This record gives sequence, structure tokens and C-alpha cells, in this order.
Amino acid sequence: MRTDVLHAVRLARLDLTLVARNTTVMFNVLLLPLLMAWMFTQTQTGADIAGVSGELFVLTGVPGLMLGFAVFINLVNSFTARREELVLKRLRGGQPSGPAVLGGAALGALALFLGQVVLLAIWMHRTDGVMPANVPLLLVVAVLGVALFGLLAAAFSGITPNAELAQITVLPVIMVMMIGAPVAYPADVLPGPLGVVSNLLPVTPVVEIMRTAFLGADHVSGSGAALGMAGQWVAALPSLGILLAWVAVAALLARWLFRWEPRHG
Amino acid sequence: MRTPQLADATGTGTAGLGNVIEVGGLRQKYGDFEAVRGISFTVPRGELFALLGTNGAGKTTTMEVLEGFAPATDGTVRVLGLDPVRQHRELRPRVGIMLQEGGFLGDLTVAETVDLWRGLSEDAGRPVTLSGGTELPGSLTLFGRVRGVGRATMGALELVGLESKARTKVRQLSGGQKRRLDLALAVLSRPEVLFLDEPTTGMDPEARRTTWQVIEDLRAGGTTVLLTTHYLEEAERLASRLAIMHEGLIHTYGTVEEVVAGSGDTIAFRLPGTTWSFGDLPAPDGVTPTLTYADGGTEVVYAIAGGQPETRAHAALRPLLAWADEHGEVLERLAVRRGTLEDAFMRVVGERR
Repeated sequence: MRTDVLHAVRLARLDLTLVARNTTVMFNVLLLPLLMAWMFTQTQTGADIAGVSGELFVLTGVPGLMLGFAVFINLVNSFTARREELVLKRLRGGQPSGPAVLGGAALGALALFLGQVVLLAIWMHRTDGVMPANVPLLLVVAVLGVALFGLLAAAFSGITPNAELAQITVLPVIMVMMIGAPVAYPADVLPGPLGVVSNLLPVTPVVEIMRTAFLGADHVSGSGAALGMAGQWVAALPSLGILLAWVAVAALLARWLFRWEPRHG
Repeated sequence: MRTPQLADATGTGTAGLGNVIEVGGLRQKYGDFEAVRGISFTVPRGELFALLGTNGAGKTTTMEVLEGFAPATDGTVRVLGLDPVRQHRELRPRVGIMLQEGGFLGDLTVAETVDLWRGLSEDAGRPVTLSGGTELPGSLTLFGRVRGVGRATMGALELVGLESKARTKVRQLSGGQKRRLDLALAVLSRPEVLFLDEPTTGMDPEARRTTWQVIEDLRAGGTTVLLTTHYLEEAERLASRLAIMHEGLIHTYGTVEEVVAGSGDTIAFRLPGTTWSFGDLPAPDGVTPTLTYADGGTEVVYAIAGGQPETRAHAALRPLLAWADEHGEVLERLAVRRGTLEDAFMRVVGERR
């Protein structure tokens, strides 16, 4: 166990080094989501949603999109490329165990994601003078969100034949996230069945809890009522449940679809 | 951790405890294709065992089962007495693996790659010690000063002759250089068992010689080695024992001497004139020659496979020389050639084609 943790930390550090060396990844993973965050805020200037300014509402929701880029796309790419180049095989044949290799990748992605959340927090503080209300809740939901999308990435890499095609296999997930996630508007304003679907998406609980934790107000039910620390946890509880269920589903999918080696023949 | 029993190091028997690698009735299927179709062999501690064979003979599949990448479809497989798949965690730190290809991160430099492996090994409680010859520390003072590259890493690179490439990106290495880096990684933690899948493919002759030296030094130090190769010369030079595989089966198995002995000796000479036929020539031990007519002469070749390997060529030569004296002939360009590994190999592979 101790060995696995040491290995995972070492591999996570390695991943961050390699991301820093790769301009394409740097752009796709770090810059693009920030650019999109800015675009989304432009659509909501002057509006007031659930008791907060449109800009703040969007910014507190953007971490949901970032899970799609910094975690999901990033890891589908890296898992697929490394599988085809036999890096995964070599790593697992060497000292690290399978869980350590996957854990290392998730840990690296978590670091990237948290880095971006910190950037967003600074952004919010500068424009709206807002400080995150509930950092422990933020961390919990960040860890669960990264675990969920890391596992989904492992599963999707299994159905991605090569790194070039990764651009295509991630597309449906990203599209659904961009349209269905309550980033720029609450899930409940979507008409009828769309709203229901949005509420069931794995990214929705992440966004709602993130927003609640950032603003200290109930953005899970959408009322926007101010809540104390304990109230925030209670309000987040149903969403945490949905999130955990999704993590379990993603783990099963990953177990079923993820492959350590290219297909034989 | 159990330390190697030196008493077993020279053992050639197949007693249970001395065997580091045990394969019994191994079968391996991929879908409908049976890559390995029931093979058995053992490798005692400190021995180098070579698997020879053509492409697709099942060598790499056998290796991968032993390395724990895939569970055996059927049969038993033990490495250091452990199940490679179910007891992978215990086995991993004690085993070194050199894959047939690939698996490097192209954006890392050679030194960074070794550093990563060193770190992973240390995390697993297997600190890296400099391996190889005693001349290492001396030359290290020369190369140990490369900026940003640690001494242990430099030592590992020096072992395989890659010290000048320390700061090169792995992506830019040639095929042979990648093989050498792979070897450096495989031996980094001084493993008890070493799996080498075609270790010298793509190397120039000098690098191949260096690699052989590294492997021999490790084996002399007590490491048990399983090696696959296409190069017969490599097996002949390194292997204590070997097996020739073809289409998923082991066809020949034994020491190099034993395998070569099975391939027979050859006596060849030339007789003037093209009027010779089988009936004119003697048949020592019932062996009849093959005749080839060329350039006004007759090439005669006897292939002698039976009898005592040590004495059969001598025994066959006696009646031939007696015949020549009797008929007043001279056996021109007389050559006696011992069987080679290549003969044995071609016989296995050729027979089945």
C-alpha cells in the first residue's frame, strides 16, 4: 500500500513534468477551458441567476467543464497513447502495480484540476470579491469529480483504438457536458425531460456542489438561499450520493473496458 | 526477503528448490489461436536458458506468461516458487524485464528515464546499487560530473555504453540504443530473475558484444536469466541450456552440446571425375553419401548422426581412408565438420515447413 502511494505520487509528478513539456497538451488542458470560461461569462453579463451575478454563476460552474478538459480529455489521450506505445505495459511490468499506475494518472489530473480551480477562485476574488465559503467541501467534490472522470477516461480509452481517434471518442461526452451541465444556467430552467436528464448527468452534482461550496448558498436545489457550513453539507448530501453512484458505475465501466495493452494481432 | 542459496547456483539437476523458473504443460490461447501448445521446462538458479525459434514460435507469449502479463490458459508456471499473476506484488521487485520493444516516454531524456526507474525501484524497497564490473567506479569519476545527472544513473548508463546519450530525448535514440537503455532499466535493481526478449535485436556488433558481457556478468553474479533470441550465435555463447521452439512446441531441449550432438557431423570431400555412383563408395555404419557432380568432379557428403557424438566422425573416417588407399584415390578437400546449432535449428524449423 505504501509502495503504491509512493509510486502514484512519483508517476503524478512525472505526468505534470510531461504536460509542462507538451505545448499542445498545455493549450488543450489548461488554456482552452479558461478561454471557454471567459466566453461563457460573456453570455451572462448583467443577468442575475439564483441570487448571484451571471458572471459569478458561470465562474462557479466552470470547474464542471474543466473536469471535461483537464481530466477527461487529458486522460483519455494519455491512456490511449501510452497503451499503444506500450508504456502502460512496461510500467505495470516494472515496479508499479496497476492501481498505482492509474492512481498516479488520477493524482496528476487532480493537481491540474485543483490548479485551475485556484485560478478561478482568484478570478472570482478579483472581479466579485468572493472567497470560497467551504474549502473542505470543495476538496471532497474535486476528489470525487476527478475520480469519476478519471475512471470514465479509463473506460473510454478502452474503446479508443489510437491516440488520433481520441479526439472523436471524447466528443459525445464533451458535447453533453457543455450543453447539459448547469454551467451557464440552472438545470431546472431546461424544458421538461432535458431538465431531468441534466439532473442525472454525472457532471451536474459536481457543478452544483462546487457552486454551493464556493458561494455558501444552496445551489443544489437552486433556491440560492444562504446556508451555514453544516447546511451546505446537508444540501450537498443528495448530490454527493448521485456522484458516488456515478463513481461506482464508472469503476465498473473502467474495469470492463480499460486495456493495458494493444489488442493482439 | 529470501536470499539466493549459493549451493544451488551450479546445480544442473531439476530438484524443486533449485529451480527458479518452472513451466509445466503450459498452453496459451488468444481467442481461437493457440500460441503455446503445451511446453515444459525448468531453469535452475544461476542458469541462462535460451528460447530459440522463428517469429510466431511462441517465445514471447511464454515470456509474457512468466512475467505475469497474462494468466496461463492451462498448465502451471512458477517463478521463484511464486505464481506470476496472483503473487505479482511479491515477485515484482525481484524480477527484471526487458520487453521486445517500445514502452518508453519519448519526451524524457535517457537520464530522466533511468532516474524514473531508479525511483520506482527505490519506492518498492529495492534500492539501486551499481551493477556490473569492478572497473565502474574508476570511470565514474570521469563521467559522474555530467550536469544534472546523478552518479548511480551515470553508472547504469555506462554499463550499457549510453553515457554520451544521457541528455538525449529517448525519442531520438536508434533502435539499438533503445535496446541498451532497456537493458540498463532491466538490470537496475539487480534482479534475481531476468527476462530478456530479443535483447540484441537492432544492435551493432560492438553493442551486441557489450550486451553479452553485461548478461554474462549478471549470470556469473547469480542472476537467473531467461532469454529469447533469433541469433543462434547469441544462444551458443550465452546459454547454459536452450530449447528450440516451433509453432508453440519445444522440439529440441538440452545443453548446447547436447542439442548440437543431435544435429550430427558432416564429412565432405571431392573425387575427380563424374562417374562415381553410390555403389562405388563405402557406407560406414550404413550411412550413404549424397553426391553432387560439378566441374568435372564429384562432391561427396556424409551426414553422420548416430553413434557416440564424441567418436563417430573418427570412426566413420577410418573406412573412408581405408577405401581411398585401397582404390588409389585421394579424398580431395577433405573436411570434417561438427554439427552446429544452425543445423539443429534448421532441422526443427525445416521439417515442419
